[in-house]
Formats: sequence, C-alpha cells, structure tokens
Amino acid sequence: MSTFNEIIQSNRAWLCLDCGKCSSVCPVTLHLAEGYTSPRLLVETAVGCGEDKTLEDPLLWSCLTCLRCTEICPSEVQFSAFIQDVRQLAQKKNLSGDCTHSGMIQTWIRMMKDPDLKQNRLDWIDGDLKVARESDTIYFPGCLPYYDAAFTDLDIEGIEIARAAVKILNSLGIEPMVLENERCCGHDQYWQGDMETFRQLAELNIEVISQSGAKRLVTTCPECAYTLKHTYPEQFGELDLEVLHLTELMAESRLIADPNGNNDSEVKLATFQDPCRLGRFMGIYQEPRDLIQGIGYDLVEMKHNKHTSICCGTSCWSTCGQANKSVQVERLNEARSTGAEMLITSCVKCQIHLKCAQQGPMTAEENEITIRDLTTLIAESI
Amino acid sequence: MNISGKKQKVIVFTCNWQAYSSLEAAGIEGLGYSASVIPIRLSCLGRLSPGIILKAFEGGAAGVCLVGCAEGECRYQNGNIEAREVFTETRNLLKLLGYNENLLQYHLINAGNGSEYVNIMDLLMKTIEEDREKL
Repeated sequence: MSTFNEIIQSNRAWLCLDCGKCSSVCPVTLHLAEGYTSPRLLVETAVGCGEDKTLEDPLLWSCLTCLRCTEICPSEVQFSAFIQDVRQLAQKKNLSGDCTHSGMIQTWIRMMKDPDLKQNRLDWIDGDLKVARESDTIYFPGCLPYYDAAFTDLDIEGIEIARAAVKILNSLGIEPMVLENERCCGHDQYWQGDMETFRQLAELNIEVISQSGAKRLVTTCPECAYTLKHTYPEQFGELDLEVLHLTELMAESRLIADPNGNNDSEVKLATFQDPCRLGRFMGIYQEPRDLIQGIGYDLVEMKHNKHTSICCGTSCWSTCGQANKSVQVERLNEARSTGAEMLITSCVKCQIHLKCAQQGPMTAEENEITIRDLTTLIAESI
Repeated sequence: MNISGKKQKVIVFTCNWQAYSSLEAAGIEGLGYSASVIPIRLSCLGRLSPGIILKAFEGGAAGVCLVGCAEGECRYQNGNIEAREVFTETRNLLKLLGYNENLLQYHLINAGNGSEYVNIMDLLMKTIEEDREKL
C-alpha cells in the first residue's frame, strides 16, 4: 500500500492549481449546508496539512467517486483515484463511511467471502429462458437477485433485468451460462478502500470465471462491467476473456436495427440517466441512446447529460444523507423538466436511488416520472 | 438441549414488552430451555433491520429468532408487523446465500406466557439440530 506522500504524487494532487473547477461541478459540494468542504479544499488539506487532517474531512467518505471533477480538472488531478487511495489508508486505521441500510449489503457481501458458500441464486431462471451449462458467454447478473429481495418496498426492476438480459441474449442466438457461485464483484469494497474483502471476492470470482472456459462475459451492471474489465486486470492481471456491458453487445450486434426507427405515431418522450461507471468511466454514451431511439422513444436530454451527467447521488451503499437526497431530488427535477414521461437508466443502483428519492420529500406532482431500465424495455420490444 | 458438541450461540431478539415478559415468566416458573440461547432485548421488534439479523449469521449464530407482542398488541402500533416484513426479506436473503432459511424464525406471543416461550425455543433448537443432521 502507498504512503500518503506517494498517494499525493501518483494522483497529481500536488499539481492542483486551486482553480475550483472541481468544486463547481461536484454534486455533493453543491448541497453541503454545514461543514462545507470541496474537492479543491480536500486536495489543499492533503498537500498543506497532511494525512491526519485529510482523514477528518467528511468529503473523504461522502465523495461519490463519480469522476466529474477528475474529468474537468485542467491539471489532471486524479481526484476519484486519490479518494480511493486515501480510503485504503483510512480503512487501515479502522475508519469508514457511515453505513446505510444498517450495513445489510456490506454484510451479505462479507458473507460471500466464505469459499464454501453454496448460493441459491439461480431460481429466477424459468422455462422460457435458455441457459447452457457450457457456453462461450457468461451472463453475470451481479447482485441483482439480492437487490430484488432487499428492496421490495421500492418496486424496483431487480431480477426482471436479469431475465430480460437472458431473453435478449437468447434472441441474439446466445445461450449464456450463468454461474451458480459468482460473488459480488467487490466494486463497493474497492471504492471504499476495503482491499482485503475486495481481493477475496475477486479471487473467488476469477477462479469460477477461469474454470468456466468462457471467452466473453456480459453483465447488466455498469459497476460489475467496469470492475471486471478494468479493476481486476489492474490489480490481479489480465482476465482471459472479454468483458462487456449488455448495452455494448446490443449496439454491436445491431439488435435494434434502425436507430431512428420510430414508426409509432404516438410520440413517447424519454430521457437517459448516464450511470457514472458506464459513461465517464467507460465512455459508453451513444450506444444506450441509439437503443432508446431504436425502440421508439424520442430522446430528450437533461441539462446535465453525457460527460456532464450527474450521479444518482449515493455510492458504495455508504454515507447517504441530506446532501445525497438533494442530489437525487435535483436530478429527478431535471428529468421532469425535459417533459419526458420516462427516465431510463442502465444501472440498477441508479434505479434504486432515484426511486428511493421519489418516496422521500418530493411532492406527488414532482414524482411523476416513470423510472425504467433499458434492458427490460428492450426485452419487451423484441 | 445444547447444540451437540459446539458452543454456538442462538440469538433471540425479544421486544421489551410481551415477549420479554414471557421470557421472564419462563424464568419465574423455572422452565428450562437451551443454554445456547442468547436473548437480546429491544424496545420494539420493529427496530430490527435485515442488516442486524444477517450480522448475527455472519458472526456465526446457529439460528436467530424474533419474538414480539401478539398481533394488535404492539406498544408502538405496528412494530411487530413491520418486523414480519423484515423477517420475510431476511429469509429471502438467507436463502440466496445458501443458508437454510428456517434457521430464522418469527413468533408473536402474549404477555407472561412462559410455557409458550419455551415451546418457541424448543422448536428453534429442533430446527437447528435437524439442519445439522442434514449436513
């Protein structure tokens, strides 16, 4: 593990120009009423005041690692990576962010570290879906079955996304295998700096994936996609298979033939929430948009879209408070002000967080937007 | 009845009111039940959440039981019913994790009912023993 000084150097924190661009775009900073802090101030603290003061800064845990500040920084300070590195140091000192949902999600993830665990996670595969015991393609649903069981009150599309994904793969002539004992990819543990849990989960996943002999892994979760495609190779060496988010595969295979194929006389307006890991982290902006238009929606963009898109407000199931709720409510208001009747996303966490905000302090009128996942919408249209 | 040969704990969450009074009644009446049972008293069963129950299993609990006030008798209106939702949700999560979901139980009980409390504990211990035999 790096020392604090190495972290400052490797993430270019010492090159900060104090220009404050990061702070003007940070979704969390904007809503901090008390104890104001910002990416600029945090970097300044790190360079000027050292490790102890940095570990006290609340932004260390409330940062969404959404990459918005990192993209805009003229000095290329790697703020999100800096946060991840400093969190590793903090975890060594037994510091962590405030847990949400009474630690339920972190607990089941830690329970998945048990190498003898025999999960029961494939009950959702029913008669209509074709999966194979051996295949070139793995479908990796990630924690979808768990979210489906845990967030019944939010009426989310959990396991429906997994079913839709297999249906789409089947329609492309692919019978994927779904691993009986995949674990959580460890994305949240990595970004929280809990490297020990992350390593254990990754090792178990890499073992089952390499034993499967598959050549390609498709997932519907942008966080799984980014972690398996980029973080695993960075930390543990190249995986001998291609990792794709289903959106990429659908666009590549021209599942929806005509990107502008709106033959329906009734115009349906929809807007798209870019998940941070799919958009800024992996650069996938156009593919989901083409698909949305291909299934007959008129796409209207929110004020903040693509590179400037705003995160769904909470990350790593940690530190969710007033500022996070404000980010979500603002995002929903932005979506409504486009005039769209539907907000489409392609990350189950965006859906969970935004639907949760709809149940919160918003008025009934402000609430009027349907939130759907792109995967299930496409599966319905084919 | 102890879990054979192992010093494992069985966590029983009771509410402060009817459930706990039944536990005390069992003690006053001198009724015995497994020494593996560790009761944890809460103000109301409705304060529980899946995270806390899962944490008991993560920590190695052999079983967990939620005991609350009889239906319609909750001191905080509907804590016992809310706990049932938490119970259902947690059972589903346990099932996904490959645990025997019957190792998590939920019972409602009238005040001062020592023998019923002991019956609940015996039922829970029986389920745990049966689960062990299957292994």
